[in-house]
Parts: sequence; structure tokens; C-alpha cells
Amino acid sequence: MDYALQQLLNALAFGAEYSLVALGLAVVFSIMGLVNFAHGEIIGVSAYSVFLAAALGLTSPIVAVLLAIAAAALAAIAFERVAFRPVRYAPTTTGLLTAFGVSIVVQNLFMLLISPKPQSVSILNGLNQMWFFGPFAVSSLQVMELIVSGLTILALVLFLNRSTLGLAIRAASRDFATVRLMGIRANRVIATAFAVSGALAGIAAVFIMARRGSVSPDLGFSLVLKAFVACVIGGFGSLPGAAVGGMLLGFIEVGLLVVLPQEYGGFKDALTYVIIVALLVYRPEGLLGQRVELGDKEI
Amino acid sequence: MARTEVARSEMSQAIENTAPVAATRPGGALARSLIGGLVTSLPVLVVGLLILNFAPTYHTFLALGAFVNLIVVVGLQVFMGNSNIANLGHSAFVGLGAYGVAILSTPLAMKKLSIPNAPFGFATLELDPVSSALLALLAVGILALISGKVISRLSGVAATIVSLALLIIVHSVFLNWTDLFKGNQAFFGIPKVVGLPWMMVMSVVVIVLARLFKDSRWGMQLRASAQSPQAAAALGIDARRLRLMSWVLSALICGLAGVLYAYFAGTISPKLFYFQMIFMTLAMLILGGMATVTGAVTGVIVLSVGLEFIRSIESGVTIAGIQLPQLLGLSGVALGVVIVLCMAFRPSGISGRYELDELLSRFFRHAK
Repeated sequence: MDYALQQLLNALAFGAEYSLVALGLAVVFSIMGLVNFAHGEIIGVSAYSVFLAAALGLTSPIVAVLLAIAAAALAAIAFERVAFRPVRYAPTTTGLLTAFGVSIVVQNLFMLLISPKPQSVSILNGLNQMWFFGPFAVSSLQVMELIVSGLTILALVLFLNRSTLGLAIRAASRDFATVRLMGIRANRVIATAFAVSGALAGIAAVFIMARRGSVSPDLGFSLVLKAFVACVIGGFGSLPGAAVGGMLLGFIEVGLLVVLPQEYGGFKDALTYVIIVALLVYRPEGLLGQRVELGDKEI
Repeated sequence: MARTEVARSEMSQAIENTAPVAATRPGGALARSLIGGLVTSLPVLVVGLLILNFAPTYHTFLALGAFVNLIVVVGLQVFMGNSNIANLGHSAFVGLGAYGVAILSTPLAMKKLSIPNAPFGFATLELDPVSSALLALLAVGILALISGKVISRLSGVAATIVSLALLIIVHSVFLNWTDLFKGNQAFFGIPKVVGLPWMMVMSVVVIVLARLFKDSRWGMQLRASAQSPQAAAALGIDARRLRLMSWVLSALICGLAGVLYAYFAGTISPKLFYFQMIFMTLAMLILGGMATVTGAVTGVIVLSVGLEFIRSIESGVTIAGIQLPQLLGLSGVALGVVIVLCMAFRPSGISGRYELDELLSRFFRHAK
């Protein structure tokens, strides 16, 4: 029972992290159709700025958390301004490849300017403790991950539903031209979407650093690949789809870890992707995606 | 019959191909794209012959690597250029080709050292290089057919992500199935049977093949459906089948590159066929221009030379008596910058829409 509960919590925590990152991708994709491969490097920038601040003498974990989120949001806005604005109206493939290029550049800049080796960051280790609830021992980080992700998603939903800018973002994902005709600036909507996506990445970065205790140039890359997969399962561009897809991915991964014998543990990633590809054979448009034929009018 | 003719002219309008289109005789088009492919491969032949005759051994080795990249990039072009879907998984096929021949053709004495516990009797099997290559390509083809079935059903973005998933699946199998693939360690002892002449022949074959596919009715229909899915579907084009076809052809060409790599290097390891190769070949294709085979060739030539220059700086050089430190990651930055700048300022790459022979014929027509 204890073991089952522990694994359930594991799955929920992994799923929550994937959902956070996948939501960040979906927010940007739903508005401007950009497949943001550089999302992982936003996590990277956030982590490295905490690392640098810690090296310069920052000691407060709360400040570090705030810094991580702010740095990620700023990095996202900066990426948009520098790299993605010139290809804003270009076809999806162009945007995708640009983002891929940005990702390579930033990863290699970390390597070039800081170090190719992982660097230790201990400032957030305090988040990772064991909590005891009666007979159960749980990792505080996983509980926090779950709660914070839940709250973040709630805040995102409120923001998108209640604020004018949120409304504009949702409208822009349907019909950008009309949103602009209503007198809302395109740049502002897109910058906000990137800031939101960056903030989500920053929160994920905090948890990653707390768990690993170190930063490395490819910190966010593999995570973002998984988040992409989560988006694809859920239906690309759909926000609920991203959240559900992330959770599902967490459950598949932990389920495989439980089921697979120890010596085949290395095949976890491969099998995860195989399961997902198999899912896509049956629902090519994703679980929550709608089957849209080109030229369909939206009602 | 008449309907296909109409469809054809519609399509050639759709893709705005203003290059000389005068396919009156059925044989004429074939001959023209055959000659076009040969013209495109001419620079490759010239570079290859120069290196073959004049360059020192070290440069020959570099050139062999560049030729492998060339074949990979041409293979990538076959899918990306025609279907306009980004493929980030092609090096999985390169790896499979290389490991295929490694497992089949390595001498038994070597196998006792490297993979003594290989399953399915591979540990006691030693085939000649040609049949191993054919079997490896068969394996690549089967994997491509299976993965292509999935990928051709998906929309553009999802297809790209699944191609990436394929890369990760294959890489993780290489790493973890240690009995067969030796895991993270280098797989050595593959017979070194391929030199520069063979590499050149294969490059030319592949370039011509890519060009023939591009100009064939399937290639044209695929390009049309990438430009306007609705119009193409209305004309009765089965885009899925065509995507599958180009995916398999692209995979086979990439697999061939892997086979050749294994046969010239003699030693392979999984990390050679992972993201590093994806980054580099993608940057080459984008820089050259992915719409044309000429673009693929141009990109490989330009970036191979450029990267070699950057690598010499990266390892720390002495300029005017000052020793620069090692700059790890510089070539990565350069590749990324090339991709980003190209996408922003010239998405069609250096060569744009025209093949080399089309450019030449336009040039001479204007000169007259």
C-alpha cells in the first residue's frame, strides 16, 4: 500500500512537471503556431541565472525562486523579440526550425561561457526533504510540485478567463486578425503569451534545480522533448490537452518503471515513446484534439 | 489520360515552377532530370577528384566524413524538401544502417571480443560486405515503413515530434541493448572496405536518385500537396501515400550513408548518430536551401569547409603569439546562428528554388 501510494505520488509529481512545461509550449503554439524548441533553454536561462546569483552571494531561497521565474519570463520575451518576431508570419516549419536553431545557440552558449560540465547549485536543496505523515514518508518536493502546479494551472485558467489580456490571448488563438481589428496590439498579446510561457518554465526550473542540485547546458532539452510529446498526445495547441497529456506521460513513465524489471530499466524512455506513437496511430489528432479538416469553419 | 495532363499543368502552376517546363515527350522529362542530377553532382565530383589526387591523408579522412554528411543531407532533402515537414529523426536511420553492417560483417574473431552474447546467432555470423549492406538497408527499410505509416498520418508538427521520438527510441535501444549493440562503447573491427572512389560513386547515385524523385510525378504531387493540401486532395492526390514513399526513400538514403560511414571509419558509437548529427545536417540543408537537391549539395560544401575552420579555432589557436583558450561549443553556436539567420533573412537558403542546371540554362538563355 505504502509502495503503491508512493508510486502514485511519483506519477502525479512527474505528470505535474510535464504539464507545466507542456502548457508553456501550448500557450505559445495556440497563438502564433510556433513550435518552441527553445522552451528548454528558457528553463536553462532561469537555472543558470540562479546559479550565477548564488555564485555572487545570493543566499535566500525565496529570492532565488522569484529570480528564476523572472529570468525565465524575461528570457522568453527576449527570445521572441530577437529570434521569433522575424518569422512570426512564416510557415510552421520555418518557425520550428528557427526555434531549433535558437535552442542550439543558447545551449552552446552555456557551454562556451560557463562550462560544458554540470555545475552544482545547492541554494534550493532545502525544498527537497522528507515529510512524515503518520506511517508515510513523502518527499516534500513532490507534494509541493503537485500543489504548486495545481495552483499555477488554476491561476492560468483565471488569467485566461477573467482578464482582458487573457481574453485577447484566447481570442488570438482563434483569429488573430480580428483581435487586432479590435484595437489590441499584436506585439503585446504575443509578448504576454511568451511571458506566461516563460513563467511556467521558470516554475519548472525551480523544481528541477531542487531535485538535481545542479545545472547543465542540456538541462531543459530532454524535458522539453517530453513536454512536446505530452502536447502531441493531448492534441497540439490545446491547453487542456497539454495538461492531460503531461499527466498521462507521467503515469506511463512511472508505470513502466514499476512494471519493467530492473535490468530493462534503460528501455523506459524507448517504451514510453513507443506507447505514445501507438496511441497516435489510433488518434492522430491527439486525445483532446479535434479532427479539423482544412477549410472547416469554426463555429 | 487527359485528366492527368490537366492535373499536371495545374500542379506545376500551383508550385509556381517557372523553370523551363516543356515535358512534351514522356522520355524528355526523365532525361532532363537525369542530366540535371548529373550536373548537380558535378561540383561534388570535382571536389572529390581534387581531394583524391592531391590532398594528404588527413584531409581525405575529413572528406570522407563530408561525403557521408552529403548523402545524409540529400536523404533528408528527399523528405523535407518535398513534403515540407521538418524531420528531426533521420540520424536514427543512419545509425541503424551503420550498426546493421557492423553486426553482420564484423569478422568473427572481432565479434568474440565485442559482442560474444549477441542474440539470434549474430555472434557466429559473418557475411560479406555487400550482402550485409543489403540486409542492413532492408532493416532500415522495414523500420522506415513502420514509422512512416505513423508519420504520414499525422499533421506537420505532430509528424516532426514523432520523428524526434523515433530518434530517441532508436538511440535508447542502441544504448541499452548491450548484447547486440555494445551500448555506449565504440563498436570496432568493421571491415574498412570503402574509400573515396566508392563514396563519390554513391554520392552521385544518391544525388541523381533524389533529383529523379523530385521531378517524378510522385515528387511533383507531393510538393503540390505540401503547398496546398486542399487543392492537391481535390485533384485526387493521396498525400499520405506520397509522404510514406518519400519517407522510406529518405530513410534508405540515410541508411546507405550509415553503411558507408561504418565501412570507411571501421568504428562507430551511438552518440555519433544522435543530436549532433541532426544539428549539423539540418543546418547544412537549411543553409543550402531545402527545396532543391542543389541546395543540399551547396549547404554541405559551404558548411563542411566553414565548420572545419571553426573547429580549428575551437580547439584553441595561437594568433600573433597569443594562445587563445579552448572554445568548446563555438561550432554549435555557429550552426545555430546559421539556422536562425537563414530562417529570418533567407528561408529558401542559398540556392533558392532553382536547381543548378535550371540556373545555368536560365543564365545562358539570358546571355543569348
